[in-house]
Amino acid sequence: MRNRLKVLRAERNWTQAQLADALDVSRQTINAIETGKFDPSLPLAFRAARLFGLRIEEIFHDPALNEDGSNPATKIKRDAYM
Amino acid sequence: MSELTTSGSGYRSRIRASATRLVCWQGAWVVFTALMAFGPKFLWSKALLFTLLAVALDVAVGVGMILATKMYVMELDELQRKVYFNALGVTVGVAVIAGIPFSVMDMYHVIPFKADIGYLVILMGLTFFVSFLYGTRRYR
Repeated sequence: MRNRLKVLRAERNWTQAQLADALDVSRQTINAIETGKFDPSLPLAFRAARLFGLRIEEIFHDPALNEDGSNPATKIKRDAYM
Repeated sequence: MSELTTSGSGYRSRIRASATRLVCWQGAWVVFTALMAFGPKFLWSKALLFTLLAVALDVAVGVGMILATKMYVMELDELQRKVYFNALGVTVGVAVIAGIPFSVMDMYHVIPFKADIGYLVILMGLTFFVSFLYGTRRYR
């Protein structure tokens, strides 16, 4: 799962340690999420969204989805009926 | 720079307190296990009452250590808990896979010494340590 955590954090001039404190996790966890090595749980993703004042999908993206957030699989199905 | 509100108790301080408590319980368990193992021979000349008392104390401290471990794991965040459980899984697997052949080799006198449980405990400790270190470095 891709995410914009690093960009959003940089925009606010927060360090990884500060963000980790705010989300009640370790700095290692923030780094692992930012580098895409670890996908957060839904509660943690919700906490991050609340902290940044954004919706979850504005921070975390499913790489299988299109850039506009639409599902390519749905498009294939829809095209098949046209 | 926008203001950032942090959680009240602080993850790092909670983990530090929890880890310190766990280390204290582990230290106490090692001391009471040594007392139980060597006490009958060196301290109370194999008096049954004292030996039973030492066993009871060791088990009681062991239960305390398990509860402290549980509290420590519950305090970990989701990534660190994942690393911990992965290491635990590898440790249990290695213990079973190495322990049974080790016991069989002792049974059929393939190895020239007794398959003591201590060897397995050392192997488990080392396996957990290496697995935990690997997991921690992997997500660094």
